[in-house]
Amino acid sequence: MARLNPTTRLTNHPAGILGGSGAILYVLFIGLPVLALLIRSAQQSDFLDAVTSDTALTALRLSLVTSIISMAVVVALGTPFAYLLARSDQLWARVVDSLVELPLVLPPVVAGVAMLMAFGRNGLIGSEMTSLGITIPFTTTAVVFAQIFVASPFFIRAAKLGFQSVDRDYEDVAQTLGVSPWRTFFRITLPLAAPAMFTGLGLAWARALSEFGATMMFAGNLTGETQTMPLAIMSAMETSLDGALALSVVLLAGSIMLLVGLGLLTRRRWQRR
Amino acid sequence: MILQNVTETAAKGWVECRVGDFNLQTEWEVQPGQVLVLFGPSGAGKSTTLRAIAGLLRPVRGHVEIGGRTVYDSDEGTWLPTHERRLGYLTQQYHLFPHLKVAENISFGLSDRNSASAKERVNELSNLLQLDELEERYPWELSGGQQQRVALARALAPRPAMFLLDEPFASLDSELRRNLRRELRVMLAQSPVPVMLVTHDREEALALGDSVQVINEGRTLVTGEPLAVLGQPGQGRVARLVGVENLFNLTIAERNPQDGTMSCIGQGLRLEVPLDSRITEGAGPEGDQDRVTVGIRASDIILAKEDLSGSSARNRLQGKVIAVESRPPGYAVTLKLSSDHDAEILRCHITGAALDEMGIRVGQQLWAVFKASSCFLVDEEQPTESSPD
Repeated sequence: MARLNPTTRLTNHPAGILGGSGAILYVLFIGLPVLALLIRSAQQSDFLDAVTSDTALTALRLSLVTSIISMAVVVALGTPFAYLLARSDQLWARVVDSLVELPLVLPPVVAGVAMLMAFGRNGLIGSEMTSLGITIPFTTTAVVFAQIFVASPFFIRAAKLGFQSVDRDYEDVAQTLGVSPWRTFFRITLPLAAPAMFTGLGLAWARALSEFGATMMFAGNLTGETQTMPLAIMSAMETSLDGALALSVVLLAGSIMLLVGLGLLTRRRWQRR
Repeated sequence: MILQNVTETAAKGWVECRVGDFNLQTEWEVQPGQVLVLFGPSGAGKSTTLRAIAGLLRPVRGHVEIGGRTVYDSDEGTWLPTHERRLGYLTQQYHLFPHLKVAENISFGLSDRNSASAKERVNELSNLLQLDELEERYPWELSGGQQQRVALARALAPRPAMFLLDEPFASLDSELRRNLRRELRVMLAQSPVPVMLVTHDREEALALGDSVQVINEGRTLVTGEPLAVLGQPGQGRVARLVGVENLFNLTIAERNPQDGTMSCIGQGLRLEVPLDSRITEGAGPEGDQDRVTVGIRASDIILAKEDLSGSSARNRLQGKVIAVESRPPGYAVTLKLSSDHDAEILRCHITGAALDEMGIRVGQQLWAVFKASSCFLVDEEQPTESSPD
């Protein structure tokens, strides 16, 4: 990878001039709306009331619970899967690997429609499930389904890269020391891949919290059951801008806390910084 | 301690491996406390042999015995996984676990890492390898030599029944390498287990090896004592692999059986070399039997400013210095043996003190002196296989 010589004066370098103006534009473009959101909310008199309203708290609780369940499923199933993808160079693994990217490029609304076609009352396997007494669409389970669908690639990709970055020789050496492959995985591979996995978890979690399109299609907008924060903001917009603003600020604060928290976990105490 | 009797068993076996297009056939036997050096160029199959013994690679066929147990046998279908083979495996890149402190690295292979006996073992080893002050550090905070000492302590901790060392000192500078070699010798004397050491460094093979096995292109060319194999190798291919500095293609001019020598000439040279029985018996095709390849080690040559005609050395050659290069720990001096542009050259190794004392510089005329017994005959097989590189 080519790097800029640190002694190069960036003011005279094309990367410095173009990159600098790009950086300024970018900070304004991202920062201005966020700032506007905060300023408008601060001007509100009933900000606290809006935040602590029943609708807001219910939506917040639902968002937290569903996204935590989604992340638990994604980490539990995605970790061994990502390890397999990282360590296998067989054809099927490469095919599955590209399939992992599909939810990233698929519009969430389409994902919601697709899940409806599969698990819906008249869906591919939905009708059998209905006869067994299992109903998924327009339930809290559907919210979790939608979140897993759109968010899992962020974790799986990051975890796969994390596992790939662990030199196989570490695992070999651990086994020559008399440690079984299972214990080697938990004592060497997993801790070394953990920082990358936390980064992936952060992205996946943020994506799950912000999930809107697939949830709307597949889970609907029922207060207390499927109405997560983004859907609550959408509904609030129809009645009062102030309510929507308050909810937005809460979601923003949550996302930033997630970013900071996972950023701390990603720090490797064992490496030179 | 309980396993002391196990460690005093020879390690032996043979494997046939296939890695892509590469085929490897090796056989080995190492006595406890002995070091068998696998010597050869990169890609020869040395590391593959170690990986096969460790069970990190599955051979096509073979039989591997470690600590008196059969850990692999293709006929009986025996296969013990790596972690049950009781090995100490040291690599060139150390592979210290970066997320664990020095003490945690050393205790990694101990069954009960938090027990008092494990702590005692860690202390014992860090004492032995002078790592006491470093126990709380992370690997990135250590120098290369310290890292390799930690790797050595970690490998020793579970008391392996065999040591596999894969160019363990290759990424260290030469002085550190010498120190660590000495430490390794001490360690090995304390835990007498069979050791296999992979290297392409002649000095290392001579310093550590009790025997040397030269491997090239997946085949063993020769096994024997380090000095015999690496000093005066009898085969042309081996001579080139171990880096015999001077090889001359000459013709026998005269045999002197009463002296046990013969005179060989060619390319403006005349050398007195030991008489070889194989050649007097006249093996080989007609006309070829008088052609010989003569090897002389650079370190067997004495340089002098004047012709030492009064000496017992049978060979005295005059030449002009065309190059002086540093070759730690000494210097390499290259002589051109006549003024012809295609004249033979002779490489000699001398110490820095000798270089200074004699004031050797390029362009100087010097005499190279060596005994007939410093010359050895090298067998050149017919080129049935393509030669390496």
